[in-house]
Amino acid sequence: MNPETVQLGLPTAERLKAYRIWDSYFTPSHSYPGRDGNSRLIAEIERALPAIQKAQFEKLCYFPHVGIGTTTDNDLEQLLRTQPQRILKPLKRWPKLLLGMIQLNPNNVHASLDALNRWLRDGPMLGVYFPGSGPGALTCTHRNFNPLVERIAELNGVIMQHNWFQTGGKTRAGQSTPAELAVLAARFPQQRFLCAHAGGEWQRGIRAVRDSPNILVETSGFDATAGFIEMAVRELGPERIVFGSHLPSRSLGTELGKVLGADISQDQRHAILGENYRRLLQPILRKSSDSTDR
Amino acid sequence: MQRRELLKMAAAAGTASVLASRSAEPNAAAGPRMQIIDTNISLFQWPFRRLPLDELNDLVMKLRTLGITQAWAGSFEGVLHRDIAGVNQRLADACAGYPELTPIGSVNPQLPDWTEDLRRCIEQHHMPGVRLHPNYHQYALDDQNFARLLEIAARSNRLVQIAAAMEDTRTQHPSMRVPDVDLTPLTELMPRFPRAKVQILNYRPRKPLIESLAKTPGVYFDTARVDGTDGVPSLVQQVPQNRVMFGTHAPFLIPESALIRLHESSRLDADAFQRVLSRNANSALKPAKT
Repeated sequence: MNPETVQLGLPTAERLKAYRIWDSYFTPSHSYPGRDGNSRLIAEIERALPAIQKAQFEKLCYFPHVGIGTTTDNDLEQLLRTQPQRILKPLKRWPKLLLGMIQLNPNNVHASLDALNRWLRDGPMLGVYFPGSGPGALTCTHRNFNPLVERIAELNGVIMQHNWFQTGGKTRAGQSTPAELAVLAARFPQQRFLCAHAGGEWQRGIRAVRDSPNILVETSGFDATAGFIEMAVRELGPERIVFGSHLPSRSLGTELGKVLGADISQDQRHAILGENYRRLLQPILRKSSDSTDR
Repeated sequence: MQRRELLKMAAAAGTASVLASRSAEPNAAAGPRMQIIDTNISLFQWPFRRLPLDELNDLVMKLRTLGITQAWAGSFEGVLHRDIAGVNQRLADACAGYPELTPIGSVNPQLPDWTEDLRRCIEQHHMPGVRLHPNYHQYALDDQNFARLLEIAARSNRLVQIAAAMEDTRTQHPSMRVPDVDLTPLTELMPRFPRAKVQILNYRPRKPLIESLAKTPGVYFDTARVDGTDGVPSLVQQVPQNRVMFGTHAPFLIPESALIRLHESSRLDADAFQRVLSRNANSALKPAKT
């Protein structure tokens, strides 16, 4: 038996391809891309490639740092500000595979607004990631989020908010919970938000966002606990669930297994693995296409 | 890629044929029949929520669908119940109806007369091993009763499974917070019992402890919570080649996940793959079966 060709636990390659999997949460070298702005990041993408290819992923969205204070390396931050081509290198190397959403720093609203213009308005990034740790972390109910979300909404950007419901409570300043994301989402009912990791402790996370129709839950970031997808489908509807892989620090097995192993219909699996995310991205893709026409 | 092209892709209707019924995704054919031993499943109900596969027949059907030919079954009841003899009797009875299930009894060495539970596992139920939950049963691995249990198990050629965790501490019920088991004492204890075999379940390897455990004789691992796209191959490289056994922690975790992790990075060669899938498990239980 050849481990390279075996499909244990997976459907056939043809079936996987038919799912048209778009991964909303690809995290190569998520906290730090390397001193030169991309070498560690690229190495981590390469590390994930066998799994990406085995599962026939069509697209993956990662979250680049863009020099607005989301890392603790001042030299790197300066480099990213002055040499944006370093940020673009992964997208240029894998243009058909990768999508990007920039990591924002709500502790620095001015720089974040500038970055939104530079990377969303002018492209090629499709949205933002609000981190849950590091110098860019800020609890998402903070007033600093208001001007940022307003601008993101104007640009039709997608918002991924890191959040966890952790037993025993928060362990770091700047963390957010799904309940806090629901507060933010209520201020901007026309904007849609992605609740990363469904809040981690998903039984509470799903409940916290259930009455917020503009919040979708992302599926990665915790063990492949059975029953998660079934509860999310039951309580939120399949249209409010978006697949994420968290590769390579987590595994294809853990993350794709959650959806493949769940007791749901094939229609629902198609929605979760790609259709919902593509629908979420359509406004910014359409706007960009229109502006190109002009 | 330009956004215009992306937009076309995003807007394109799905082309796959779909099935209307609800079910887990059918798996690809496993090819030639291979032996797959799952060293880490549990029967009955998890105390904190219902699980999709916590009915015995559903779980066994899933294992068969995935090509798992043998499964070492502990009992969720062994985590909190104190009538351990009843727990193990129900486990033995349940496993008797399914040829692929091998019962692994529970023992709580903090309970009065725990040695009788161990004796019944060995002599009455002919179980090849026992499973411990030191964190839920509130003892450390330098406890003298644990050392005594290890001695008896070694003398009887029985495997001892230690569940290092059952659930991520971050997601536990707030009124039942249980830390992961501190495995450090094993490095000093195991050399005292050269015939002892201990398999650590649900362990997430971390340096430097994994390096110490790798050098400790008689310590085995399962793969159930070894995460990262190349986590299992990395573990296989870090420890002696006969020490890693396939485990799913089903039905708490989705069994497909553990299977996919074995091969997704393509870093295990065919020999190591077979060792993890079944050969190491067969070797670990061999003395108890003969």
